Amino acid sequence: MQLRDYIVRRLMILPVLIFGVSIVVFALTRIGGSPIGVYLSHEMNADEVAALEERFHLNEPLVVQYWYWLKGALSGDFGYSGVASAPVSEVFWPKFAATMELSVFSAIVAVWLGLWLGVFAGTRRNRWQDHLTRVVAVSGASLPLFWFGIVLLIVFWANLGWFPVGRSTADLWASIPHPTGFYTLDAILAGNVQAFLDALWHLFLPSITLGFGAVAIITRMMRSALVEELQQDYVDAARAKGLPERLVLKRHARRNALVPTITVIGLTIAFLMQGAIAAEIIYRWPGLGRWMADAVVRGDQATIMTYVLFTSVLFLFANLIVDIIYAKLDPRVRLGD
Amino acid sequence: MTAHDMPKAPVIAEVRDLRVQFDSKRGNVHAVDGVGFQIRDGEMLGLVGETGCGKSVTGRAFLNLIPRPPAKIAGGRVLFRPRGGAPCPDCAGEGCEACGRTGTETVDLLTLPPKPMRAIRGARIAMIFQDPGKALNPTLTIGAQLAEVFLQHRSEALLAEAGVSPEETGWQANALRRMAREEDRWLDRRLKGLPPLSSAAAKLDAALDAHVAAALAETQIPNPARVMRAYPHELSGGMRQRVMIAQALACDPDLIIADEPTTALDVTIQARILDLIKTLQRKRRTSVLYISHDLSLVRRVCDRVAVMYAGRIAEIGTVAQVFADPRHPYTQGLIAAVPRAGTGRGHLASIPGSVPELVDPPPGCRFADRCAHVMAECTRANPVAREVAPGHQSVCFLEKTGQTAAPATSEASTT
Ligand SMILES: Nc1ncnc2c1ncn2[C@@H]1O[C@H](COP(=O)(O)OP(=O)(O)O)[C@@H](O)[C@H]1O
Ligand code: SF4
Ligand SMILES: [Mg+2]
Ligand SMILES: [Zn+2]
Repeated sequence: MQLRDYIVRRLMILPVLIFGVSIVVFALTRIGGSPIGVYLSHEMNADEVAALEERFHLNEPLVVQYWYWLKGALSGDFGYSGVASAPVSEVFWPKFAATMELSVFSAIVAVWLGLWLGVFAGTRRNRWQDHLTRVVAVSGASLPLFWFGIVLLIVFWANLGWFPVGRSTADLWASIPHPTGFYTLDAILAGNVQAFLDALWHLFLPSITLGFGAVAIITRMMRSALVEELQQDYVDAARAKGLPERLVLKRHARRNALVPTITVIGLTIAFLMQGAIAAEIIYRWPGLGRWMADAVVRGDQATIMTYVLFTSVLFLFANLIVDIIYAKLDPRVRLGD
Repeated sequence: MTAHDMPKAPVIAEVRDLRVQFDSKRGNVHAVDGVGFQIRDGEMLGLVGETGCGKSVTGRAFLNLIPRPPAKIAGGRVLFRPRGGAPCPDCAGEGCEACGRTGTETVDLLTLPPKPMRAIRGARIAMIFQDPGKALNPTLTIGAQLAEVFLQHRSEALLAEAGVSPEETGWQANALRRMAREEDRWLDRRLKGLPPLSSAAAKLDAALDAHVAAALAETQIPNPARVMRAYPHELSGGMRQRVMIAQALACDPDLIIADEPTTALDVTIQARILDLIKTLQRKRRTSVLYISHDLSLVRRVCDRVAVMYAGRIAEIGTVAQVFADPRHPYTQGLIAAVPRAGTGRGHLASIPGSVPELVDPPPGCRFADRCAHVMAECTRANPVAREVAPGHQSVCFLEKTGQTAAPATSEASTT
């Protein structure tokens, strides 16, 4: 099968998968009981409660309720958040964009740094640079994210004052329009260099906190994969052809070492989405974190379902991209199985 | 070329007293311990011995591909005189003893700086590896892997064929030059498909493809255009080894190191690959160091043979001499073992025991504990090479007479 056909087929399956995910998500949230609780207040009498149930179709069978939910979701209506006292669709996007911006930025930094460190250590096997990198990797994998984030916060914000907390400087944020909700993108679209730098400055500490663990995993995987590839005969065969060491690494060993590493990178994406909530709380990042915590405690099912649905879709996309890169790197991968 | 012409051909490459040691947990492994031999222009020299005798390490020395660490070169030289190399400084190209009458400057491959070494690798000295399934990169097409040889060593020809003259300057010519040398930058690759660069770049690609297809056709690969687009796992073992041979011959090298090129292949196609190597070697008059643990193969294709045991040369001579009159007990054992099946891997039917571990070995003949003729002196000192016939030497105390001659320094010992 051609790679292009494979991508098309995977994209066609995607809506089916999302539909399946939505059913599972709906069923799982409803196990917790009726979502009515979050909308009630003490002054309401039985008639008013019944009217609410009527309005949200909670008196109908579950299948019908799902149908109403699906119809709403398809038209961009994800229900009403009791916690935020507003429709989910109005509150969700800015917060989601804030969380996404942090996760994506951390992922890019973590992948880039992890691959670079892995190659750095793998090509200097058993030298001091390799040992030093191993120390970094082991600490990244073993330090709890919360602890590490707080230490960075104390040193670089409280003591040195080099980096801020929060997501933006208020007047800079207000000086540009926010069509996407991603501060960096909005700054680029507005052509405002100052706002863009402000965005990066605010992203720095939280994305290091969030990305450190992923850097550790990617570094270790890339290093061991590269060491393994460098021992293969084809590397010596490339040298025997007269290739400079630069090309032996770039075209042969490093490229092939990426194959197993890509799989690990796919897994770390999930890891990052998990950690984002903790990083947000440490750095007062205005993402989904706080809202989601409240939503879970107070049984705000509309909010929870939207969150789980969006992150699932993201995860499906991330996996698709990983699979495509994987197939592109390794021709032995049998597409379509 | 017959064996009788051999001594007259100039020496193109020579190993002198090569010593390679590997650091291991158990100690210092003397994998190659004073090996010396010469390779003449246009000859096929066999290097035989059981597995673990140090044949591959010796062969890799010609390309300076011994992994350091764990290995270290404890001594010796690997000399090479490429055809058409710089003139000999001693005789200004007239031909003298120092350059083996080739008139070409002698280089020591073990101390050559990386850049001139890379110019030799793949162009003047090439290697065919034991297992083509491992020596080809699984994630690149055959065409891309062969193209690399031409991009490294034939970029001037490629540029000429693409219509870029050497005088031409300007960013387009420079971008094409970078592409032809595999030094292209990110921007070059982006611009490659766009006018005005695209037509010249397409010509460059076409020239490259033509070279690759011609190289593949040379090794009788059917349908080279299809094979170029294939990945190694889509080809059979025999086809892959043909690709390796095509790659080794691509730049018409002076010397090919063939390290057990048929060992990993199906028995049914071993003979065909062997014949192919022999045919191409004859046609191009290339020198080949043919490494094998199988004496019968060496007998079939080689002009001369060096028998190696436990890091040292045991016997060397023309194929006729060594097979008609094997002098060294190890050679005799090898010849007696030839027809039996299931040998190799350090076991020979006619010689009990196996290759000793070479960790800090004591003085004496390495073969002593397996030799039926062992004498007291064999374990006291190292035997020296003695000439038993012109060009035929045996390194054994059984040779009481004959001129002593270390095979390493038999001819050009004046340098
Ligand atoms: N990469 C290596 N690391 C450690 N020891 C090695 C390595 N390569 C070769 N050796 C040592 O050198 C000896 C000779 O190896 P080799 O030249 O491959 O033998 P042959 O090709 O004759 O079978 C081996 O027995 C082994 O002890
Ligand atoms: S030197 Fe001695 S032990 Fe070695 S092969 Fe000759 S006779 Fe045998
Ligand atoms: Mg070998
Ligand atoms: Zn000379």
